[in-house]
Amino acid sequence: MLTALILAIWAYLAISDALAPRFLMAGRPLMAGTVAGILVGDVQTGMMVGGTLELMALGVYTYGGATIPDYLVGSILGTYFGKELGFEAGVALAIPAALLLTQVDVFQRFINFVFVHAADRYAEEGNVAAFDRMMIFFSHAIWGLSRAIPVFLAVAFGEDLVKAISGFFEANPWFNKGIRVTGGMLPALGFAMLLKILPVEQYPIFLLIGFVMFAYLNMPLVGIALAAIAIAVIYQQLMYRPKEV
Amino acid sequence: MAEKKLTRADLRSAFWRYFFTFQFGWNYERMQSVSYCFAMIPILKKTRPDPEEFKEAFMTNLNFFNTNPVVGAPLIIGAHIALEEAGASLETTEGLKVGLMGPLAGVGDALVWALYNSIVFSIGSVMALEGNIMGPILTFLLVFFPYLAVRYWQFFWAYQQGTNLITQLGSGAIQRITELATLVGMIVVGGFAPSIVRLTTPLKWEREVVVRGEEVMQTISVQEQLDKVLPYMLPVGLTLLVYWLLKRRGWTPMRAIVLLIVIGFVGGALGIFG
Repeated sequence: MLTALILAIWAYLAISDALAPRFLMAGRPLMAGTVAGILVGDVQTGMMVGGTLELMALGVYTYGGATIPDYLVGSILGTYFGKELGFEAGVALAIPAALLLTQVDVFQRFINFVFVHAADRYAEEGNVAAFDRMMIFFSHAIWGLSRAIPVFLAVAFGEDLVKAISGFFEANPWFNKGIRVTGGMLPALGFAMLLKILPVEQYPIFLLIGFVMFAYLNMPLVGIALAAIAIAVIYQQLMYRPKEV
Repeated sequence: MAEKKLTRADLRSAFWRYFFTFQFGWNYERMQSVSYCFAMIPILKKTRPDPEEFKEAFMTNLNFFNTNPVVGAPLIIGAHIALEEAGASLETTEGLKVGLMGPLAGVGDALVWALYNSIVFSIGSVMALEGNIMGPILTFLLVFFPYLAVRYWQFFWAYQQGTNLITQLGSGAIQRITELATLVGMIVVGGFAPSIVRLTTPLKWEREVVVRGEEVMQTISVQEQLDKVLPYMLPVGLTLLVYWLLKRRGWTPMRAIVLLIVIGFVGGALGIFG
């Protein structure tokens, strides 16, 4: 029960950090999972679950408030249950949890209108003190609870459910396989979302450079990123060189 | 030069209010409006001492607002404060907000979410999956300091630029930076997508061949054949397929996730992918 409470508080803080201060982008699965791992005393599982989900969610952001799976709660629950069941089972649980909670997110984004309407009233009254109070103490509550409550319920009461689910996994190896294959494929969505906001038609050739560096030259990711910066700077220096007379 | 109505403390107060609460109370109806207004309150109190005028500004600043919270929002708030101090009308400041929030949302989402975060978080995750705690720590450091610095700098830069900001934004510097980041992003996506998306096939077929007069069963792995044609063909093809569905067919990300799950389960169960 104490663990449930601690992880619920972490979920609340993590979504609040993801909304505003962004000290560590705690809404991202890598961060949410690693810290959850520290809290349950199993950093390795936290990093494995968080890292796996992070790669699935790479580039997947709420552009303009669009709905995406709740990987934050997914990675906290995946870490908690992965500590007992192994990180792969944790990930296998985290994905359906993240998808199910999408609906909760849509609902809470909707009911947050109460704050706007309260603010309208305070503005008409010119009541700054009440507005400040609302912003400081309450404006994060619906967001926070929408993450904290599912985490608390799942950790406090989910033991039997999770036993049943892990029994199901053992009895149906095809399900595990499906999760594994799907997990490898999901990052394609993130990259597709990135490509969608990049001007692919304008500079398709740059995609090829990165592909060659990885697929044929086997460069590590940091190397590709550094080379990318160098190539882009050189390109601009050549493109925007003052015309010689 | 307009007289300075605001002290450094007022500006700092607005900045920290923005920093700690921006997007709190985010909702479909007016998105970031309440937290935007919350950041402006200490400024409006100084620039509009008349209670009726203050109330009107308070109400107006609760209008719909949405932009990128990291690159975009601090810039708009800083410029808005400069206009407030110079005695601009509410129509002018609302015009500034509405005019800048759309373009900056596009630039900010591309720079911060799509490019910077994707690079930093994928490197951190790959290290984390090797069991290296430096992965998350490195990512944390690359979030904490740059995020703080870029917001602080934007806010005060935009305030100092004030009314010049629009000409500054039009001068091409922002476009240059965006293009640079876009190019880096394209190269990185080209390299990261095949390294992170995993899709292989265990399919094989067997055929009889005659080797030195003896009939031998030869096994041909489809994956090996694909790799000979183009390495990472399946992950690259899958990424391009999803891109095409999102871009040309107008699919939502959720719909694409459902498709990937169906392909993953069916393909995994039938032994096509594995």
